[in-house]
Amino acid sequence: MTDTQGAILCVIDHLLSGRPGLEQIEPDQDLIEGRILDSLGFVEFLCLLEELTGREISLEDVVPDDFRTLQAIERRFFSGEPDHGN
Amino acid sequence: MHAAHSNKRPQELDAPAAEEPVIRADLGPDERFRRVLARLVALSERGYYNPYQLFQWPERLPEEQYWMSPELMSVHGTSSGAGLTEAQFWQISKWESINFYSLNVHGIRELLLEIVGRIHTPGFELPSEYFHHVIGEENEHMWFFATFCRKYAGKIYPSKSMKFPGTPSLASGNLLVFSKLLILEEIVDFVNQAMASDDRLHPTIRQVNSVHHQDESRHIAFGRQIVAILFEQFARKASPAELSEVDLYLCRYIESSLDSFCTPAVFRDAGIRNYFKFRAAVLADPAYHELRSRISKRPTSFLGDLGVIGRNGADPHD
Repeated sequence: MTDTQGAILCVIDHLLSGRPGLEQIEPDQDLIEGRILDSLGFVEFLCLLEELTGREISLEDVVPDDFRTLQAIERRFFSGEPDHGN
Repeated sequence: MHAAHSNKRPQELDAPAAEEPVIRADLGPDERFRRVLARLVALSERGYYNPYQLFQWPERLPEEQYWMSPELMSVHGTSSGAGLTEAQFWQISKWESINFYSLNVHGIRELLLEIVGRIHTPGFELPSEYFHHVIGEENEHMWFFATFCRKYAGKIYPSKSMKFPGTPSLASGNLLVFSKLLILEEIVDFVNQAMASDDRLHPTIRQVNSVHHQDESRHIAFGRQIVAILFEQFARKASPAELSEVDLYLCRYIESSLDSFCTPAVFRDAGIRNYFKFRAAVLADPAYHELRSRISKRPTSFLGDLGVIGRNGADPHD
């Protein structure tokens, strides 16, 4: 398993832990539309992404669409190498 | 602190942002509310002060002492804290206090947007006179919190909140907005009240917390009145499912607000190694859960007694 695959599994685990009725999330499933990710859960979710990527994420650099699907999250946040914090 | 909820998630419960339509409130006929507002306006006028001249800002604050009451620090009594030196505690207290004031700055911005969006609009005629005082006072609070952060830490921690597009539930919109404002004010005031009278802290730190506490006691009195009225009106027409959704949303709001008090950035700035893992250990520690319960006791008790929360199987008094 690659680092990116492991990170995405962590992301999925985190999202599923907030939705006990949900068993899986498709790569192209709309997380925002489906309320799998919402404003109240966002701060902790961002925290997880920062830990997994090893870098602070500024809200000036991101838009809601960066978090809309697992594919978008992978594309936006897991294309580089971690640099600190882990 | 209760965290157990039903699996059901609100489908239309993101509180309306200021630019979204605000449902008309009906706050006119309540005589008790009218009397409370008149008293709060009189108190605001009597206690009026000039914050720009009130504070003496020393050039620097000593690093070798607490900036936050040790008992209010996230690491207090935790296993993670047991391995720290006193110098590390001082550093964490500094950055945790800066994070606390930064959260105030961002929370006040949200509050101002919501109040400005309602002042002198239909349904809010009665509290509009008092809204002028709230807007003025909150603007000043934001100024002295921001000044403290910038002067003694060189920065304000950025907001990590993001609003996602969602369909606001107009029926519960005002109730959610004023409940959230009340929750934030109650949580913040718990800390202010303790720090204002803690003589281990620098006089400037005590003064900032004391001044805020004095004003917030009025804002909280207002918040409790308006939340009680709005909930009574909402509950009269709401279905059990809608009541449950409001309950769940506000419980999640309390939890997410408390999460924001303990951040990786604080531990990073305090020089803690492996700060993500360190934070995770603090969050999981029973001592930290006890602190969260103490901080959130007032709003959870108030909202629980009113019946706003506690419908989903959790005891709001836990």
